[in-house]
Amino acid sequence: MPVALCWLVCLQVLASHTLSAATGRSVHKGHVELTIFPTVPNLNRIKLNSKQCRIYRVRVNDLEAAFIYNDPTLEVCHHESKQRNLNYFSNAYSAAVSAVDPDAGHGELCIKVPSELWKQGDELKVLKVYIEFSLDQPKGGLHFVVPDIEGSIAERGAHVFSCGYQNSTRFWFPCVDSYSELCTWKLEFTVDAAMVAVSCGDLLETIYTHDMRKKTFHYLLTIPTAAPNISLAVGPFEILVDPYMHEVTHFCLPQLLPLLKHSMSYLHEIFEFFEEILTCRYPYSCFKTVFIDEAYVQVSSYASMSIFSTNLLHSAMIIDQTPLTRRCLAQALAQQFFGCFISRMSWSDEWVLKGISGYIYGLYLKKTFGVNEYRHWIKEELDSIVEYELKTGGVLLHPMFPGGKEKDNPTPHLHFSIKHPHTLSWEYYKMFQRKAHLVMRLIENRISMEFMLQVFNKLLSLASTASSQKFQSHMWSQMLVSTSGFLKSISNVSGKDIGPLIKQWVDQSSVVKFYGSFAFNRKRNVLELEIKQDYTSPGTQKYVGPIKVTVQELDGSFNHTLQIEENSVKHDIPCHSKSRRNKKKKIPLMNGEEVDMDLSAMDVDSPLLWIRIDPDMSILRKVEFEQADFMWQYQLRYERDVVAQEEAISALEQFPTPASRLALTDILEQEQCFYRVRMLACFCLAKIASSMVNTWTGPPAMKSLFTRMFCCKSCPNIVKTNNFMNFQSYFLQKTMPVAMALLRDVHNLCPKEVLNFILDLIKYNDNRKNKFSDNYYRAELIDALSNSVTPAVSINNQVRTLDSLNADVRLILEEITRFLNMEKLLPSYRHTITVSCLRAIRVLQKNGHIPSDPSLFKSYADYGHFVDVRLAALEAVVDYTQVDRSYEELQWLLSMVQNDPVPYVRHRILSMLAKNPPFTKNEESPLCSEDLVDHLWKLMNSGTSHDWRLRCDAVNLYHTLFGLSRPSCLPLPELGLVLNLKEKKAVLNSTIKPELGATYTELTNNPALHGQMIIFPNSFSNSQEDEDIDMDTVHDSQAFIYHHLNMLERPSTPGKEPPTTDPVMVSMPATPLSVFGKDPHPTSKHSDHHHHHHHHHEHKKKKKKHKHKHKHKHKHDSREKEKERDRDQIAFPSSPASGHSIQSPSLSD
Amino acid sequence: MADPAVVGSGLIGSGTRSSGTKSSSSPSENYQLARRRTLQVVVSSLLTEAGFDSAEKAAVESLTEMIQSYITEIGRYAKNYCEHTARTQPTLSDVMVTLVEMGFNVDTLPVYAKRSQRMVITAPPVTNPPVTPKALVAGMKRTHPSHIPTHFPEFPDPHTYIKTPTYREPILEYQIVREKAASQRRDVERALTRFMAKTGETQSLFKDDITAFPLIAARPSAIPYLNALLPSELELQQLEETDSSEQDDQTDNENISMNISNDETGADKENNVLPQGGSLASAKANEENMIDNPYLRPVKKPKVRRKK
Repeated sequence: MPVALCWLVCLQVLASHTLSAATGRSVHKGHVELTIFPTVPNLNRIKLNSKQCRIYRVRVNDLEAAFIYNDPTLEVCHHESKQRNLNYFSNAYSAAVSAVDPDAGHGELCIKVPSELWKQGDELKVLKVYIEFSLDQPKGGLHFVVPDIEGSIAERGAHVFSCGYQNSTRFWFPCVDSYSELCTWKLEFTVDAAMVAVSCGDLLETIYTHDMRKKTFHYLLTIPTAAPNISLAVGPFEILVDPYMHEVTHFCLPQLLPLLKHSMSYLHEIFEFFEEILTCRYPYSCFKTVFIDEAYVQVSSYASMSIFSTNLLHSAMIIDQTPLTRRCLAQALAQQFFGCFISRMSWSDEWVLKGISGYIYGLYLKKTFGVNEYRHWIKEELDSIVEYELKTGGVLLHPMFPGGKEKDNPTPHLHFSIKHPHTLSWEYYKMFQRKAHLVMRLIENRISMEFMLQVFNKLLSLASTASSQKFQSHMWSQMLVSTSGFLKSISNVSGKDIGPLIKQWVDQSSVVKFYGSFAFNRKRNVLELEIKQDYTSPGTQKYVGPIKVTVQELDGSFNHTLQIEENSVKHDIPCHSKSRRNKKKKIPLMNGEEVDMDLSAMDVDSPLLWIRIDPDMSILRKVEFEQADFMWQYQLRYERDVVAQEEAISALEQFPTPASRLALTDILEQEQCFYRVRMLACFCLAKIASSMVNTWTGPPAMKSLFTRMFCCKSCPNIVKTNNFMNFQSYFLQKTMPVAMALLRDVHNLCPKEVLNFILDLIKYNDNRKNKFSDNYYRAELIDALSNSVTPAVSINNQVRTLDSLNADVRLILEEITRFLNMEKLLPSYRHTITVSCLRAIRVLQKNGHIPSDPSLFKSYADYGHFVDVRLAALEAVVDYTQVDRSYEELQWLLSMVQNDPVPYVRHRILSMLAKNPPFTKNEESPLCSEDLVDHLWKLMNSGTSHDWRLRCDAVNLYHTLFGLSRPSCLPLPELGLVLNLKEKKAVLNSTIKPELGATYTELTNNPALHGQMIIFPNSFSNSQEDEDIDMDTVHDSQAFIYHHLNMLERPSTPGKEPPTTDPVMVSMPATPLSVFGKDPHPTSKHSDHHHHHHHHHEHKKKKKKHKHKHKHKHKHDSREKEKERDRDQIAFPSSPASGHSIQSPSLSD
Repeated sequence: MADPAVVGSGLIGSGTRSSGTKSSSSPSENYQLARRRTLQVVVSSLLTEAGFDSAEKAAVESLTEMIQSYITEIGRYAKNYCEHTARTQPTLSDVMVTLVEMGFNVDTLPVYAKRSQRMVITAPPVTNPPVTPKALVAGMKRTHPSHIPTHFPEFPDPHTYIKTPTYREPILEYQIVREKAASQRRDVERALTRFMAKTGETQSLFKDDITAFPLIAARPSAIPYLNALLPSELELQQLEETDSSEQDDQTDNENISMNISNDETGADKENNVLPQGGSLASAKANEENMIDNPYLRPVKKPKVRRKK
C-alpha cells in the first residue's frame, strides 16, 4: 500500500483541526484544515474518513481540489434484494469496512491533489488541505439531547456529545479515523453563550463572537493523539473544579452539582493509585469528566477527558451505586493511560491496550475493595468468558491475517469477521476485553507483578518522551503499542520467555475444559488424580503444560504442580498424612491458620479433606471436578479462598443433604465470611431446601436466621428499623428474602409462611432512622415477591379475570400497585422500585395470574422515562413477544430500533431480542415471515449505517433468528430466478452498455445527485492504488467494485458543477433498478443472477473448502465476469455516495 | 406563636364563665330578685317620705340602680379598709371611714335614723343564699401546711398547678407501636395513591375491571434523570433528622426546604445559617479565584478589527 503509507505519515507531522459547532437542533457546520507533510513523493491523492458530513469544497494549498465521496458501508449489499444470506452479508460487510479502513490507507473521501502541486510533492513540501463541510441532523457519532420543554436551550438542559464504538470520529468531521495516526490538534468550538464546550486538550481561551451571543472555545492538544480519541461535549454544564486536583474539572448537567460533588470526592485517590503503581504522572496537563444523559456507553475515555453517563452520579445516601461509580471512574482513568495516551498500532494490537487497562483496573479493585472482591471478580470474568467461548466458539485476541486470505480466517465459527472492530458483535467485544485482562493476569503470574509494572512504566516513559518531540513522526510511533513491541518489552524487562503463553491464549482462541476425578489408594498412600480434557467441542483447545493442584490433607495443605501432557491423564500424588487421625490435633490450612474440624464426616480410610485443581485460575479453563459431598462441605467451611468457597457452593447444589444444609447455614452466619459468598450460599440453601422438602425439619430455610439477625428481639415477626451502616449485613438482608422466596413446598408452591414473612418485611419496613436510602432493599423485596410466584393452576385458555385471582397473588398485587403508585409521588433513586415492579408484573402475567398484556410495558418503554425503567419495560415486551409469539409487538420493537432517539436503548432492544429470541433458526414459527426477513435485512444492510454497534446487533439478531444461510421462510430462489429471467430479459441484454451510458448522463444531469457525486478533473490512471485493492474481498463487495470500476472507467465528469446549496437532498432511486424506470419491483435478474453465481460459488466451496476466492473469480468465464461488472455499473447510480443519505434506497419505498 | 395561646386561653375562660352562670341560674336569680325588690320598696318608701304620690317605673328603676351602686361601693370600700388593716371582717370604723371618704357626713346619720316619719320596711323574704356551684374537683386539694394560717384561701385544684395527665395511657409496647406506625403509613399511602389514581389517568392490569388495582399512568418527563437521581425532599429531611452533622455538605437550597417544614427554631437557624452560607460562598469564590482553572476564567471580548 505505498500510497496509503505515504499518506499515513503525512498527517502525523503537524495537523491542526479547526471546527466550529453550533449546537441547536442538530446543526453543525465546520471546516477542517489538515497540514500534511508528505514523506513519499508523488502524493496525488489523499484519503480521509468521513461519514454523514456534507462536504462543500476542498482546497489544497488554496487550490480547489476535486474529491470523491463514497461510503460503501451505507448500504452493504446493493440490489441483492433476494439474497438474504448472512454469510454473504458478512463477507460483503467486512469488505465494505475494509474498503474504507484507515489503517489500510483507505477512506470514504478521496481528495485529488491538484496537479499544480505534484511537483511540490516531489520536494516534500507541506500541503494544507482545507475541507468545508456541514453535518445536518447526524444520526450517529454526535448525539443531541434536547428536552422538549419551554425555555432557552440552556435552560432546557440541552446538550450534545460525541459517541460511538471504536473509531467513530469520522461521523462528525473528516479525519483519518485510525488509532495509529497521531497528530497534534487545535480545536475550536463556537457555541451558544450559555453553553460550555468541553473537548480534548487545554482550553486556551474563550472568546465571544462579535454579536456577543456565542462563545468560541479554543483548545490545543499538543500531545500527539489519534482522531478516534478526540471528543466533544457541549451543554449548559455546571462546573466543579476538583478540590484536590485543580487541573481536574468536572462537568454535570444543571441541578446535579451536589451529586457531582459527592460522586467525585473520591477521584483523587484513584489518580494517586494509578500514578503510584505506574510510577508515572498522568500524561495530560488536565483532565475533564463530563456527565451526560442518554449515554452511548457508561464510560468512554478520550484524550484528557472522559464522558460518563449522568446516571452514575449519586448522593451520599446511596449504597449500591457507590462502588459501581468508583469502578467506572477507575476504568476511565486506566484507559486514559492505555488507550488514549498510548494508542495502538493496529486492530490486532487492541488486546494489549484493553488488557493493560483492564489489568491495572483490576489492581485498583484489589487495593480498594480487597483481595476477596478481586478474586471474586476474576472468577466472574473467567466464568463468563469460558461460558461464552464454549457457547459460540472462541475469542481470538490477536487475529493475524497473513495474506488477508479467506482461507486463513481464524474464526470460521463466527458469523462475523473479526478483522475489523466494526464488524464484531458487541458481546464478542465485551468478552474480548475480559479475556484481554485475564491474559494480562496470566502474564503477571508468569513474570511477577513487579516486572509487569516495569513494562508498563517503560511503555509510558517511552511514550511521554516521544510525545514531547515535535515533528518527528518516527518518534511518535513510540506512542503506539503493538503486540510484538509489548512482548519484546516483557522479555527485555523480565528476561523470561512467555512465548508459549502468548501462543496459547493470544494467538489462539478458545479455552480449556478439564474433567477431574480421583481415587485414594490406601495401600500406596497415594492420590490417583485423573484430569481429562475435552478439546474437541467448539470453543475448547488442548492444554499442555503445568497445572497446580492443591490438596488439603489432615496434616496440612500441599501444592503440587503436575504436567499435563499429550496422553497422560493419570497423576499419582503422594499423600503426606496417614488416614489415621489424631482427634485432638488442629488442622493447618494453606494460609497457616490452624483450625479444629469435626472430622466425623470423613472417609475413615482417607486423609483427604478436599482437592482443588488450578486454584489460582492461571489457566483460562473450566474445571468440572468430582469429589464427595463432605469434601465440598469441608472446602466451603474451611478453605479461606473465596473462589474455592464459591465453587463449593455451586457443587453443593447437587447434594441436598442435612450436612450441606448445615454447612451453608454456618457460612451464612459467619460474619468473617465474605459477603458475596454468604449471598451465594442463600440461593444454594434455597435450592437444596426445595430439593429436600420431604425431609426438611424446622422453619423454612433462613427464616430463623433472618429473624435472629434482623428482627426485633421482643417481637420476632417485626423487622428492626433499617440501619444499613454495616454494608455486609445490608447486602445479606437484601438477598435473604429474595432467596427465601425461591423455596418450594411439596406442591411446588412457595410456602405460605415465607410469603407472609416477606409481606411483613414490606409492611414493617421503616427507614426513618436510616442514614441511607432503602430503595434497593425495597426493590429486592419486590423481587422476592415475584420470586415467590408460581404458575397459576387453571383451565387452559381461561381468560384471567379479577374474580379468579388467587388470594396470595392479590396480596402481592396490592403491594406492587402501592409501590408503583408511590413511585410516582416519591420516586426512588434510579427508579429501582419501578423497575422491580414492572418485572414482577411481567412474572405475574407470564405465570397466568393476570392477563398477559404488553400495553402497560409499552407505555413505560416510551421515550421520556428513565432509561432503567425503559429497559425493564422493553425486556417485558421482548419476553411477551417470545411467549405470545406476537408479530405486532415484534414490529413495534423493530420500529423502535429504527426510531428511538437513544442509541443505547436501540442497541439494548436488539441484544435483548437476540438473547430471548421469539424463535430461532431451527424452529418453525409463525413470526418467521418474508416481511420480517426484509425488515431485518434492510435494518442491517442500510438502516444502521450510522452506528457500528447497532449494525452488528442487527447482524447478531439475524443470525439468531435465521442462521447463516438463507432464511427458510423465503420462497425458493430457483423459482424466482425463472420468473425473473422471463421478465427481465431485456434489462440484462447486451443493450446494457448503451443504456448504462444513458443512465450515467441521466445521473449527472440530475441536480439532486450532484452533491454526492464526484468531481474529478483528471483520471488517475497512474495511481498506484489500483494495486492495493484487496482482490480477495473485492469479489464480495459490490460496493467496492463499483467504486473501483467507476474510478477506472469514467475518465471525467463533464461540466464541473459547483455543489448545489443543498446537495444532500438525495432523492434516491427507490431500488437500484428503478434507475431504468422500468421495474420498481425488487426481484430482478440481477439479484438472481448474483444468486445463481453465489450458488455456484457455494458449490465450489463445498468441494474445496478453502478455495481461494480470488482464483475462483478468475475461473469464471469472461461473460459472467462481464455481467458482474455490468451489474456493478448499474448499481452505481444508486450508490448512496452522499454521506447524508442514511435512509437507504431500499428503505425509502 | 403566642397568639394562639392567648386566643386559646380566652376561649377556655369564656367557656367556664358561661357554664358557671348557667349551672346556678335559678337560685341565684331568685336571690338577686328578692334583694332587688327590697331595694325597690326602700326607694318607694323614701319617695313617699319625700312627698311623692306616684313615680314612673323607669324613675324608680334608676333610683334603685343608684342606691344599689352606692351600697355596693360602700361595701367594697369597707372591705378594702378592713383588709388593709389585715382583717377579714369589716368593723364599724371601716364603714365610717368609708362614708367619710365618700363625702358623707357621718354625724347626720343618727339624726336621720331617728327621724319620725320613717317607714318600717319589712325584711326581705328569706331566700337561700345562692349555693356556689361546686367546682370540678380534680384530685385531692392540698391542705395548708402548718405555717400557713387556716384563714388563707385554700389551695386551688391540683390540676391548676401540677402536670395533669390528660391523655390516655401511652402504649409503650414496641410491637403495637410498630404495628400502628406501619398500618398508619400504609393507610396513608394507600389513600393517597388511590386518590391520585382516581383523580388522574390510570392504567389497569385487568380488562374486566379497570378499577381494581388502578395504576397511576406512566407519564414521560422531559428530563427523566432529574427525578431519578436527585434525592426527594422527604429523603433529605430524613437524612437531616438522622444525621445533622452532615448538614454542612448540603446546599442552601436544601436548608431552605428544611426550614419550611420546621418551626420557629428553624427560622432562627435560618438567620444563623444565611450569613454563614454567604461567607462560605464568598470564601469558596476566593478559593476559586486562586485556582487557575481555564473554565473559571472570564470570557474574552472579541478583538475589534482595526485593519479594514
